[in-house]
Amino acid sequence: MKDVLGSLAGWGVNVAIALTALRTNLMRSILTTLGVMIGVFSVILAVAVGNGAQVSVSQQIATLGSNMAIVVPQPDSGSGPPRPSDRGRLTERDGQAILREVSGVSTVAPQIRNSVQIVTPGRSATTQATGATPEYGVVSNITASEGRFLTQSDVGSAARVAVIGETVANKLFPETIPVGETIRINRVPFTVIGLLESKGSNLGNDNDDQIVVPITTLRQRLLTTAAQGPDDVTLIFVGFEDEDSLLSGQKEIERLLRDRYRVAKGKINPFTVRTTTEIAETTGEVTQIFQAVLVAIASISLLVGGIGIMNIMLVSVTERTREIGLRMALGAKRSDIRNQFLVEAAVLCVIGGAIGLSLAILAASIFERIAEFPAPIGLDTAILAVAFSAIIGLVFGGYPAIRASRLSPIEALRSE
Amino acid sequence: MTTLLLETHDLVKDYAIGGEIVHAVNNVSLSIARGEFVAIMGASGSGKSTFMNMIGCLDIPTSGTLLLDGIDTKTLDSDALAEIRNRKIGFVFQQFNLLARTSALDNVAVPLIYTGIGYTERRRRAQDRLEAMGLANRLQNTPAKLSGGQQQRVAIARALVTDPLMLLADEPTGALDTQISLDIMGIFQKLNDDGITVVLVTHEPDIAEYAARRIVFRDGQVIDDAAVKSRRRASAA
Repeated sequence: MKDVLGSLAGWGVNVAIALTALRTNLMRSILTTLGVMIGVFSVILAVAVGNGAQVSVSQQIATLGSNMAIVVPQPDSGSGPPRPSDRGRLTERDGQAILREVSGVSTVAPQIRNSVQIVTPGRSATTQATGATPEYGVVSNITASEGRFLTQSDVGSAARVAVIGETVANKLFPETIPVGETIRINRVPFTVIGLLESKGSNLGNDNDDQIVVPITTLRQRLLTTAAQGPDDVTLIFVGFEDEDSLLSGQKEIERLLRDRYRVAKGKINPFTVRTTTEIAETTGEVTQIFQAVLVAIASISLLVGGIGIMNIMLVSVTERTREIGLRMALGAKRSDIRNQFLVEAAVLCVIGGAIGLSLAILAASIFERIAEFPAPIGLDTAILAVAFSAIIGLVFGGYPAIRASRLSPIEALRSE
Repeated sequence: MTTLLLETHDLVKDYAIGGEIVHAVNNVSLSIARGEFVAIMGASGSGKSTFMNMIGCLDIPTSGTLLLDGIDTKTLDSDALAEIRNRKIGFVFQQFNLLARTSALDNVAVPLIYTGIGYTERRRRAQDRLEAMGLANRLQNTPAKLSGGQQQRVAIARALVTDPLMLLADEPTGALDTQISLDIMGIFQKLNDDGITVVLVTHEPDIAEYAARRIVFRDGQVIDDAAVKSRRRASAA
């Protein structure tokens, strides 16, 4: 215990000696610190931006809804001229079959998506219309913040009603809440029955720039292309009870649809089934690689900062050889001399690290405000930064410090 | 416990200079008892400084035996030697060797850092020593704001702060004028009267006359070792 206290007191002395030495060469100390500061700054900012990308992606995944599979028709892009049988198709009946025959499925939400032109007196907007059923709201976590969402009877009666996203509402009705207003979608009058709860934007993709209408209404009144069959849909969201049934369900859906479309063995599926888990995984991997590359580049500047520390510490040891000799004559052990220079390097690095961290926090908050891109710096990142810069100090200060401690007392004392 | 503070037997220090071996100290055997005041004399290159560096544990003998306070220094590692320098020996140098930009008080306290004494106690002991050297009103002065004589007194205070058995002074008056040199010799004599062993290296014969015993080196060997006949006294400043 006494030893521990003694060594702590020893470190305190070393910090005091280090601060005096650093103050003596103030300009040099500042410039050296600058290297570490820039290094820590860029590493932290890279970590923050990477974290931000991950947060953003997981937000995007969350807006899709969890435990969900997305079934999309996939036209056969093989060789030869396209034949009608090659064209990927997906129908509402496929959806009903999935609900009926695949285990663990809780909801299916068939949708038709189409670009539409909306007009109100004096204003207009182009946006994407999703023809959907009430299940769409359930599967993808969409509710109405004002008014109401679609009901079964809206779909049954092919009612001309629309639930509109915030971005659309702001374009068309900048001053009022639009519930109850009439809008013309592709010249057909619709009544606005609700406002979609905002899902924000992620990675430049505005989730609020859309409207939702009954799938029946969209098919009867808004589809301009007659090429599709009466039952065709653009895609189907399939909601599962839990993650396990999602994993097995993906295969079951593929088997079922191959059966239904009589896809011959060896031919590829004319549709794709992707799960939210897969999407999360691949995008997660991509953002992780993105982050790793960023951090790797930033680490180079930290390395350069560390080499700067080593350089300056070697100069410092050479300049103070006589002082080292004197301290040895007065009773300093080799370890005392080594620690003195280690602490000096560590102090330089920790100061640089702390300043770099503060600047990174500042830059991240500016970045968040300007680019509307989250760049969170957590406590763990902060601790990591300071620990990292201290380690840089120990590693790059280590060699000069050991060199100082190996000097012979008499030769050090004799040097000029 | 022996009254001998220092004993050397066939002490040798060789240097290789330009491929040739030079015997800087060549088979020196002598002993110094507690409480002695010894002046080591000789021309430059006579080996007196090398000898002093070895008995100060700053340099390691090539061969021979060095007993310090009964301990054979051959058996000691660098940490143990550092401890001996810290606790048993106080060094005074020609060029004072004070830390620049550091107050007199902090300079004197440096050895106590390595003894492991706490901050408050360090400063208390350092202050006591400086006051004993008549520097009570110079505690916070940095070396640049002290005269040569004052700086050497700070250095002596530093040498004494760990209560060593022996003061080793290497040309302590070499950078000082005659009157100040006299003051410094007075301080050494007073310290010696109080019981501390003083070993002084000098090339000035009249400075050596303040010591009680004179050892003369030439070509790495002792050519004369006798009591000073008409010893001079300097009144302490």
